Amino acid sequence: MTSVWALAALWLGLALVATLLAIWLRISTALSEIVVGTVAQLVIGAFLGIEALGAKAPWVTFLSGTGAIVLTFLAGAELDPIVFRAKWREASGLGLVAFFAPFLGCTALAYYVLHWNVRASWLVGIALSTTSVAVVYAVMLEFGLNRTEFGKTILAACFINDLGTVLALGFIFAPFSVRTLVFAVTSVVLFTLLPWLTPRFFKKYGGRVSELEAKYLLFLLFGFGALAAWADSEAVLPAYLIGMVLASTVGKDHVLIRRLRTMTFGLLTPFYFIRAGSFVSIPSLIAAPLVGLALLAGKMVTKIAAVLPTARALGYARRESLYTTMMMSTGLTFGTISALFGLSHGIIDQAQYSYIVATVIGSAVIPTVVGNAFFLPRHLLPAQPEPEEGAPDGEPAAAAR
Amino acid sequence: MIKKILVAFDGSDASRHAFDLANELAYHFKAKLLLLAVVRLPEPATSLELGAVLDDAREHYTAAFQELRDRTNPRGIDFTTSVEVGHPAEHIVAMAEREGCDLVVMGRRGRTAVGRFVLGSTSERVLRYAHCAVTIVK
Repeated sequence: MTSVWALAALWLGLALVATLLAIWLRISTALSEIVVGTVAQLVIGAFLGIEALGAKAPWVTFLSGTGAIVLTFLAGAELDPIVFRAKWREASGLGLVAFFAPFLGCTALAYYVLHWNVRASWLVGIALSTTSVAVVYAVMLEFGLNRTEFGKTILAACFINDLGTVLALGFIFAPFSVRTLVFAVTSVVLFTLLPWLTPRFFKKYGGRVSELEAKYLLFLLFGFGALAAWADSEAVLPAYLIGMVLASTVGKDHVLIRRLRTMTFGLLTPFYFIRAGSFVSIPSLIAAPLVGLALLAGKMVTKIAAVLPTARALGYARRESLYTTMMMSTGLTFGTISALFGLSHGIIDQAQYSYIVATVIGSAVIPTVVGNAFFLPRHLLPAQPEPEEGAPDGEPAAAAR
Repeated sequence: MIKKILVAFDGSDASRHAFDLANELAYHFKAKLLLLAVVRLPEPATSLELGAVLDDAREHYTAAFQELRDRTNPRGIDFTTSVEVGHPAEHIVAMAEREGCDLVVMGRRGRTAVGRFVLGSTSERVLRYAHCAVTIVK
């Protein structure tokens, strides 16, 4: 056991360093952990051997996988079902456009320009199709648009976008068979039952120190994860869907969500993100830096081409449309989940994985750094035309601020 | 004549010193105090971290504002508080203009050159763009 404890101490030590860097530089912990994982693998690999970090050890893989599943579940649980029911048409339209444009565009770019094989091209399309709900929500908060119907529609659209990503990840590489059918039918039946069963179960037995709620949710996530893996699908697919169907029950239980966050932040996600970072090959990135730039350009161009006109058609002012479109081009969590899925299933090689993760990080970091370096208060920027007809009433101050 | 003072508050020692100075000025000028806290989210935000940061900030500022209110009550100085999310300099400059403040008082953190490039210096930016007088407290 000595080696296991020592390795665990090393990983938590790296997580601690990543957290301190995140605090000092005020960047997200996830981003910091990916970068620390990459650097740690480079340094430890050079001095102690390529396997010294133990990223492929079964227990590290388990903790990392659990981190991805719980993270995905919590992301799904953020959905606002009331808004979603009210705005599902607009949200679906925008979300599907925001998914399909980069998905198909980046797939075509990888296949025809970079000459990757078909499966690797599909994978890069999936990885770069995502939108970070959190980044868009942060922008909405800053503009005060999170309270408007339009802001809520955009957020719901992000969930549809990510749903497209996890469905594509779960089914494109799965060989359609009886197992897939069993997985799909079982999922539909249980997902219908869970919103009814879960609150009643929690009401009768929950609220005790034995943390029944956390055990129940982990049981569901692991159970569905096993079923998905048995059907040659991906465990994050049911995790996201469980999060969405339980958003109106578990998602509203603030205390439970905070407990899950503690467990996820403190133990699980460091293993996930550091491990994801450790597979990035710096030499591959240095050898062909233009590949990452081409993928980044592909993602940005396809997102902008698809989302910008759609947002404008829905009545959003030009600057907010552009800003939201830029923010919708980020996707840290699902981007790395998709890339790691591809690497672990042999769909992409380590160099391709490195390009995808670098692109995902680049899409998240570059707008931030540029924004900070050339900061100018928004209200001092040249005035924009008044919002066109169709813009949400009663919110011009927030939208134009 | 100073009628409205905006204090940028982030809970740091420097911002508490800034509040103390603004408190004194408000007492002497019989001015109104506006207290603004801005929650800056880690970038790029992730779902898990965003929710946690917002929850923590809500609790932190509720307690901090109450403590400041308890300190100013004996002198009869009341103040309004608000919490915004986003870029601190942006919100400070915008609120000072919107509310017609005569003075902005804020603390200075003193970041390194790298930190200033990555995060930017809030006090320098407010100093550059604010429409009114700005006092930086060390």
